Amino acid sequence: MLSIVKRILGQMKNDKRSLGLLLFAPLLVLTLLFFILSDSSYVPKLAVNDMSEKFVAELENHATVSEETEKPEAADYLEANGIDALIWNDSEGTHIELLEKNSKSAAALEAIQDTNKALQPTKNELIIDYVYESSGDNQLDSLSFVFLGVISFFFVFILSGMSFVRERFGQTLERMLMTPIRRIDVIGGYTLGYGLLAAVQSVVIILYAVYVLQLQVEGSVALCTLVMILMAFSAVSVGALVSIFANNELQLVQFIPVIIIPQIFFSGLIPIDTIPFGLGNLCYLTPIYYGCTALEMIMIQGKGVVEIWPWLAGSVAFIGVLFLANVTALKKYRRL
Amino acid sequence: MKIEVCEVNKSFKQQQVLNQISLTIEGGRIFCLLGASGSGKTTLLRIMMGAIPADGGSVTVGGIAVPNRQLLAEMGYMPQNEALYEELSAWENLKFFAGLQRQSRKTFAADAEALLQIVDMAACKNKLIRDCSGGMKKRISLAVALIHKPKLLVLDEPTVGVDPVLRRKIWLYLRQLRNEGTTIVVTTHVMDEVTQCDDAALLRNGHIIARDTVKNLIAQTPDGNIEELFFIDNQSEAEAPLC
Repeated sequence: MLSIVKRILGQMKNDKRSLGLLLFAPLLVLTLLFFILSDSSYVPKLAVNDMSEKFVAELENHATVSEETEKPEAADYLEANGIDALIWNDSEGTHIELLEKNSKSAAALEAIQDTNKALQPTKNELIIDYVYESSGDNQLDSLSFVFLGVISFFFVFILSGMSFVRERFGQTLERMLMTPIRRIDVIGGYTLGYGLLAAVQSVVIILYAVYVLQLQVEGSVALCTLVMILMAFSAVSVGALVSIFANNELQLVQFIPVIIIPQIFFSGLIPIDTIPFGLGNLCYLTPIYYGCTALEMIMIQGKGVVEIWPWLAGSVAFIGVLFLANVTALKKYRRL
Repeated sequence: MKIEVCEVNKSFKQQQVLNQISLTIEGGRIFCLLGASGSGKTTLLRIMMGAIPADGGSVTVGGIAVPNRQLLAEMGYMPQNEALYEELSAWENLKFFAGLQRQSRKTFAADAEALLQIVDMAACKNKLIRDCSGGMKKRISLAVALIHKPKLLVLDEPTVGVDPVLRRKIWLYLRQLRNEGTTIVVTTHVMDEVTQCDDAALLRNGHIIARDTVKNLIAQTPDGNIEELFFIDNQSEAEAPLC
């Protein structure tokens, strides 16, 4: 078993580019996400027609306002002028015309609401409080657990799946099995070897996310790391298992959408109990669910081991089941 | 180690590759399995080692039924393609397989060095496999099969792509191993290599059409040309392989 672990580390040492991709590609993707999801402080562009001067004056504090003396009738007015919203009054009341639902129209609506609030402050204003609230405005903070989990799972899955396919294709697997090694040692060595690499990757990702990107972690960073490492180990096992059903590298790549995308749905991006037909229960079959839920509880809700142990246990059980499945599947190549 | 193959059958997807093969390979001899490409040589080798199960029949090596893990420790297998780790050097490949064979770490360095001398790879033992030529890979692959001093050596086309000078050197070493008691099974479709072996069997369309000592086989041919062996059995022309 130790021979296999050493060999895997040796292979990685001699293949610097793979190692670099494993360690730094996730950081690159995370950094990109950080900038994409960060607060862009966008100032919406609004056009008004026949609104009170007081309203327009207040609105100018929240947005760039242009006044139209006549109500524009052209259907492509918003698009053609790069305006996010058009506001006008008639007998029915105040109208707001928006182009489509997106973050720009959301910003326009927010500016209008802020204006209304400033003009008519009421005593019984709605006060909204979140139980779990991150202090930053960055959307990455509230979704960090999804991205941390999915990104590290993805890279490790590809690495272990690919190397197993190559091992079968290059017949080194057969050669390895023509020695007195036990099947359990082959899978054990594989899981441990790639698991170690994956664990290093997890540590690098989490440290980068917390100390460089300054992501909010309410609970313990060490516990996060543990969850990430467990998830990485399950990714190694899933990769090895899937590789059995792939006859070549291309087929393994084709498996990625089948294996990874459904897991993203169950990672906490969509609340699981809103999924119809009980399909949400499928989450128990996806290793990312256990990892991401645990990460969410630690990072957003600040929970500790006492609260998250069922998900940790789920992760460990998953790794165990996959391990046995892989050992059994290896029988295809040697009956002993 | 004596190998006994008894009435072995094997089919892949309807196509019968091996048909009631029975064969005894005496220990301490170099045995050559001859046949055109696609005649089932590699399949027979893999069944003999227990890598794949036969559909019917039995194989024993040294009296033990395959597959058997203790037996695998005494076998050295060199597959037809190189089956080495591209990202590792020759030395690291040897070390890995020696580790799987539980070779002692003390003797490994000396053993590996000696083997690399024989296959003429000592000078570039630290070269990564991905930078090696086809012939170099072949030689390293042979060294890997030999690293644990197996009693039974199974070589699938060992000298394809190896130059004549080195080929002679390798055969010399294989005969030396034979003299020390190692049983060697090789496959080949290069006819002049057959003369290097003690015994040979001809495989054709899933049948063994001849099996004898190489001397006797050559004596059967009209002009001493071993290639003539393939024309001895005229009747089999009728049952050309289905593809």
